[in-house]
Amino acid sequence: MDIKNILFSLSGANNAFYVSEASDIAYDILSKYAKTQKKSGLTVIGEIKGESDYTIMLDAHIDEVSFVVTNIDENGFLTVNKAGGIDIRALAAKTVTIHGKEKVTGVFCSTPPHLASGEVEYDDISKIKIDTMLGKKAKDIISVGDIVTYNTKPFELGNLVAGKSFDDRAGVVCLLELAERLSNKKLPCNVVFSLCDSEELGCRGSRTATFSVNPDEAIAIDVSFGDGPNISPDECGKVSSGAMVGIAPVLDEKISDKLIKLAKENNIPYQCEVMGDRTGTDCDVISITREGVKTGLLSIPLRNMHTDAEVLDIADIKSVCDILESYILSGGIKDV
Amino acid sequence: MFEILRELCCLDATSGNEDAVKNYIIEKIAPYCEYRVDNLGNIIAFKKGEKTPEKRLVIDAHMDEVGLIITSVTDGGFLKFKTVGGIDTAVLMSRKVMINGEIPGVITAKPIHLLEKEEAKKLPKADSLCIDIGANSKDAAQEKISLGDRAVIASDYIEAGDKILSKALDDRIGCAVLITLLKEDSEYDFYATFSVQEEVGLRGARTAVFAVNPDSAIVVEATTAADIADVPSEKRVCVQGEGAVISFMDNATVYDRKYYNAALNSGIKCQPKSAVAGGNNSGAIHLNREGVRTVSVSVPCRYIHSASSVADKGDIKSVLDMVRELKNGILGGKYD
Repeated sequence: MDIKNILFSLSGANNAFYVSEASDIAYDILSKYAKTQKKSGLTVIGEIKGESDYTIMLDAHIDEVSFVVTNIDENGFLTVNKAGGIDIRALAAKTVTIHGKEKVTGVFCSTPPHLASGEVEYDDISKIKIDTMLGKKAKDIISVGDIVTYNTKPFELGNLVAGKSFDDRAGVVCLLELAERLSNKKLPCNVVFSLCDSEELGCRGSRTATFSVNPDEAIAIDVSFGDGPNISPDECGKVSSGAMVGIAPVLDEKISDKLIKLAKENNIPYQCEVMGDRTGTDCDVISITREGVKTGLLSIPLRNMHTDAEVLDIADIKSVCDILESYILSGGIKDV
Repeated sequence: MFEILRELCCLDATSGNEDAVKNYIIEKIAPYCEYRVDNLGNIIAFKKGEKTPEKRLVIDAHMDEVGLIITSVTDGGFLKFKTVGGIDTAVLMSRKVMINGEIPGVITAKPIHLLEKEEAKKLPKADSLCIDIGANSKDAAQEKISLGDRAVIASDYIEAGDKILSKALDDRIGCAVLITLLKEDSEYDFYATFSVQEEVGLRGARTAVFAVNPDSAIVVEATTAADIADVPSEKRVCVQGEGAVISFMDNATVYDRKYYNAALNSGIKCQPKSAVAGGNNSGAIHLNREGVRTVSVSVPCRYIHSASSVADKGDIKSVLDMVRELKNGILGGKYD
């Protein structure tokens, strides 16, 4: 699988609420390797059967941070609400796609120079309007409740890549690659790929998806903070330095230990990410679904999280995939 | 004219580094006029008309655009930069940039998730921002770039109905208008200057106008349009769709009142610039030698100095018509 190309097509596609472009792409690919179905919302679930009843669920969320239109004024300017943890300081003069009756390009207003007055408080997104460039015609095409997404096209950045929604299409493409690798192998257990909705709204999609899959154990694949200027090394991982293995009170220690062991044995680049509380990922709800699920976390280090220019290294996605492959082939913690 | 405008906007020319635009313009105008390039890089063109007027007129537009200049490289391989010309930090956040027209970068900052609550409401200090070019060390970065290299904020060129969205509309619109006029037959001889370094203090126009030694000048520009949501009408400066903007005064110039009135009474769609704000090459031109009678004709431009400035095609046509009208009126002695 050409991981970069698939990541770019998933990144350029939009996926929020009723817009399911990325889910449709992922469904088409996953269907080649696994028995796949579309579930409620944007969730896509595929299963490859193994030689036992033991089921490992692998989770990556397929939604993205976005906006929802709450008002349209007479001159074609939109007020929007955030759907996810958007950095509203990074919106001025950014172009977006408005998913109305047709797709419309809009641009977040920036402050005209003569009206700039000292330090601005970025505490309320309703102060930052979107110019639809449609004037009075906006109301014919756009309605309250319509979704607005970033529209940045992904691009290569030296040895890295940049684009929107790598959080968590990087996890999605990792699982698609894994599905391809596992599809012609004998597996000691069932593997379910859960590409789920609404992580950015509080891990909602994984709650119902996990209930439905009812796995014996689970690993979530997400992105985490990569290194950068002004970021202390103790609060981030290092881009291009391999998979981040999560260690946290809410995660299963056996899973974390085995992931590290396999990375070491197979010379797969990895780094530990230790959290003192919950993880801020789907793990937090997967692990308390039904009677509880033993859960692990693998993350891909990423810069500029939740902006339209997230940056990561494809090699780190491969490292995560490599660890997962050996983890699945060794049966997870079934016999540990 | 709009095809020329598109091609001009897609070229990168930060102040002091205008070669790409200069070469493009020379190629376009060479068959239609005499021209030379002065020591700073200004193009000084002379258009032979049917008649040689008693007075000498120059029409000016600037070739440069705001951008960034690389000042140092961090140990981690990130690039520090200063802005060239006035750029609001808000429109730099998580932006794709192009360095030397070929190396992509991303402006990176600490993600909001890692900021204290109060810190997350404020823009980071401009000097804390860095450009990520995907180099993992200082040496790797220095192989690709040198100190002093220039960057622009990357943008698409989007036409949406009557609107154009792009970087550098300030002042490639002026350049496109001048090219159009030089290609036409003219009743009178006139001069045109495509000037450098406007955004760093109206510098190119000073030397170009000294060389031309005109009696009168028309400066063709883009000016702030604050006709956006939440701005009261008295602070809008000008309104898109209402035609060419004619200035009576800004922070650099008090304009020739006869020319100002002639423009407003011309019958061509226009509006007064209803604020004393900003400034343009008129500031340098009107003080040349013993003084130059100067008029400024501008296109209303939203989100100016960002990668998503927006202008209206109808306004651009009005500016072209107005400049042509004033040229013939001034050289015909209509406003003496």
